Amino acid sequence: MSEQKVTIQYNDRIVRQFLLATVIWGAVGMLVGVIVASQLNFWRLNFDLPWLTFGRLRPLHTNAVIFAFVGNMMFAGVYYSTQRLVKARLASDFLSNLHFWGWQLIIVAAAITLPLGFSRGKEYAELIWPINIAVALIWVVFAVNFFWTLARRNEPSLYVALWFYIATIITVAMLYIVNHLSIPTSLLHSYPVFGGVQDALVQWWYGHNAVAFFLTTPILGIMYYFMPKAAERPVYSYRLSVVHFWSLVFLYIWAGPHHLLNTALPAWLQMLGMTFSLMLWAPSWGGMLNGLLTLRGAWDKLRTDPVLKFFAAGVTFYGMATFEGPLLSIRSVNALGHYTDWIIGHVHGGTLGWNGFMAAGLIYWLLPRLWNKPLYSTALANLHFWIGLVGILLYVAAMWVSGISQGLMLNATAEHGTVLAYPNFLDTLNAIRPLMLMRVIGGSLYLVGWVMLAYNFWRTVRGAQPVDGTIEVFVEKPSASDHLGFSGTWLNAPVLLSLFLVGFSTLWMLGTDLVSIAGLIGAIITCVAGYALLFSRGKQWQDWYERLLLNALPFSILTFIAVAAGGLIQIIPTVLISKAANVEDRLQVPYTPLELAGRDIYVREGCYNCHSQMIRTLVPDVLRYGDYSRLGESIYDHPFQWGSKRTGPDLAREGGKYPDVWHLRHMENPRNISVGSNMPSYPWLLADNTNLATLPAKIRVQRMLGVPYGPSSAQQIFDEANQQAKAISLGLREAGAYIAPEKEVVALISYLQKLGQSEPVAPKAAATR
Amino acid sequence: MTNEPNSTPPEDALREHSFDGIQEYDKRLPNWWLFTLYATIIFWVGYWFYYQRAHIGLTDIAVLQQELARIEAAKLADPANQLDDATLWKMSRNAVFVDAGRSTFTTTCVSCHKESLRGVDEGGIGANLTDNVWIHGSKPTDLLKVVDKGVLAKGMPAWGPIIGAKKTSEMVAYVLSHHQEPK
Repeated sequence: MSEQKVTIQYNDRIVRQFLLATVIWGAVGMLVGVIVASQLNFWRLNFDLPWLTFGRLRPLHTNAVIFAFVGNMMFAGVYYSTQRLVKARLASDFLSNLHFWGWQLIIVAAAITLPLGFSRGKEYAELIWPINIAVALIWVVFAVNFFWTLARRNEPSLYVALWFYIATIITVAMLYIVNHLSIPTSLLHSYPVFGGVQDALVQWWYGHNAVAFFLTTPILGIMYYFMPKAAERPVYSYRLSVVHFWSLVFLYIWAGPHHLLNTALPAWLQMLGMTFSLMLWAPSWGGMLNGLLTLRGAWDKLRTDPVLKFFAAGVTFYGMATFEGPLLSIRSVNALGHYTDWIIGHVHGGTLGWNGFMAAGLIYWLLPRLWNKPLYSTALANLHFWIGLVGILLYVAAMWVSGISQGLMLNATAEHGTVLAYPNFLDTLNAIRPLMLMRVIGGSLYLVGWVMLAYNFWRTVRGAQPVDGTIEVFVEKPSASDHLGFSGTWLNAPVLLSLFLVGFSTLWMLGTDLVSIAGLIGAIITCVAGYALLFSRGKQWQDWYERLLLNALPFSILTFIAVAAGGLIQIIPTVLISKAANVEDRLQVPYTPLELAGRDIYVREGCYNCHSQMIRTLVPDVLRYGDYSRLGESIYDHPFQWGSKRTGPDLAREGGKYPDVWHLRHMENPRNISVGSNMPSYPWLLADNTNLATLPAKIRVQRMLGVPYGPSSAQQIFDEANQQAKAISLGLREAGAYIAPEKEVVALISYLQKLGQSEPVAPKAAATR
Repeated sequence: MTNEPNSTPPEDALREHSFDGIQEYDKRLPNWWLFTLYATIIFWVGYWFYYQRAHIGLTDIAVLQQELARIEAAKLADPANQLDDATLWKMSRNAVFVDAGRSTFTTTCVSCHKESLRGVDEGGIGANLTDNVWIHGSKPTDLLKVVDKGVLAKGMPAWGPIIGAKKTSEMVAYVLSHHQEPK
């Protein structure tokens, strides 16, 4: 075998660029976070300006911290570590640069469109369709650049960090594309192809796994590279890496429905969501163990080294958040915590603690190495750690107390459980005001810490000479015996047994009588056989896995299968079965043109950020908001608006509850009606005219998506909308309020008054399951 | 916590290969960790069997309907649901009921009917409750029915299910305290 010694210079310029972007967008995202948190407590901070209201800024905050802050941090970490783990320069400087500038352009586009109210109305998926396409394209650029680099590697075997990067790239592409499937109605607006319960399921399959595969797996990969580097200790256990990687990526995907517990989502999906979330606990803690136990023998370094402080605390917060997640997935716990600040606290334990602290550790570790100069101030970095830690603890503790308090108040009943103890929603909101203030303080402290990092960054790199790492490698031709091939990938015990086990278990869970029993028997046989083989041929399995690590493509394909399984088994039956034609009990009445225009205003203003439209199958929900929501009652909703947080009350049965004039005064200034409300005022809805011109295109798309709109000309649509608007305006005048029928608030009122209207469906004799 | 011998790190076997200087131990999986994984898997099997295969556990909707039936039964048996006009008038002259009614009114009704009960005549949305115009009947039991069941067409919510029979009757007593029983 001929060996040739070459010197490789890494592309560290791109790492420096992503690192700088991380610092800047991190500060922006956190600042917007502090602003929206303040708005919740002081409604005047909405300034009565459309582009500064909570409903539009909150999506900006979430998108900025997820995609801009953690995104850039992930790219920096992935590009730095991958080059060194495969002993090769990034495959293409052009693709690297395209990736960087494309991503920054997307962020700027998001920062402009979101405050302007251009939104798809789905959480963490708000960006409009042209930006969606750009994100998908840039992600493909990242993928090509990454896999091409793997293909050119001078290190035959894949290290565990790379497994996590592979899983990240594949899964995010899959989730993002499916959840963003839409049909455009104009250049800036589209409707998602899924509606109602299907949209809910797809959204949280995406939403939950955006947390898993955007905020968790890439950071675990980063942990596996930078933690042992910083601690100068070996990783605790390779075996644990293998088991927790595969169990994590397989199980995570199934857990999405835990965001929809006690809702109209079919029970089998809710139960999958809950039980798989519980099973996810150990695999998540596997990552934490491997991180923390890598520090064995290096704990003393924590006293002085800010990098290890950040890493150790970050991994601890990861462990905390991944214990809390399964806990909150238990349906009875969820009945209390869902829609409250507890969830906000849970998320921020993960984002501020895990993502933010891992990012800080990464930056402090990389700065001296990328600019060949010691960190400007270690003391300042240590101060950042302590201020940030106090900030997180204040934030999370405030949200725990707030969420549990409000949850208990909302669910409390009096008079032998027959009536609500706090029928006025505002009583429960105003009880948690001090805690909302404490959150602002905690978040601000965290931001101050980040500003310290930015200052430290600037002082370190100012005038410093950037350096790119180099390495001398012997270029080896891969030997043919390492090649796994088709049979080597598929026809072996671990893969086949896993496939059989998943298949049989699924038959047992979802099959009818005989199929189910056959599935059970098959699953038991597979388990016994697997257990026996593991002991008799465990060594062969190990050898096979070592060989798999030499084969990047088969590894990636197996990873894809593992992450695709859960989604396929949950989504395909739901898309096939949960259709309007199969609905029992109640069916939604489609919106009139004016109501549809009103709904689009509801989406534009981001009302779903604070109001749910889902009355759960729980007594306190039914007592407070009316009969529980049926699956059929939102079946035509593209996008669904079930919501995930109740800063205000549920609106599923808002229609007819109050007169039109109530809504008019309430929109003008909620405090006209609801003393103590923290909802923003919406004066522009009373000043701006409804855009009816787009309605024909929108209704055409809705019809394409299966909403039963009859064929009508553009003129008929305008006439119908104008007629309904005039009737509402006239009714308002009789009640002593004048508003022109063209105003947006009229369309919004028509939509709000429609909420909860459905028609009964005659029970079918032979209803299929 | 674990059964494995507590060996010191340097004695552990390291894997042969290192990546960019990163080495790996191959420590066995902690028993408590494995136990947690197995326990949650067993829970999944049991839970699924209990609810989805054997149908021993009731569905959410069945549980909810049982609870709601119990609540309805308790309400039907409640004497506050069997009030007549004479009793309500008597209550309206009793400070205990009127004071309790006032406090409920202040939190629940003032947004539309205003502190003064004058409603539309003072910029509110709801009817004026101090004049002698009764849109939905002037008897105390008519009033009770309006508060209890609501008048959805006019935007009056049904308060009975939310605040309960006791508070509803107290509130009616409070409103009646602004009126005189017709002779």
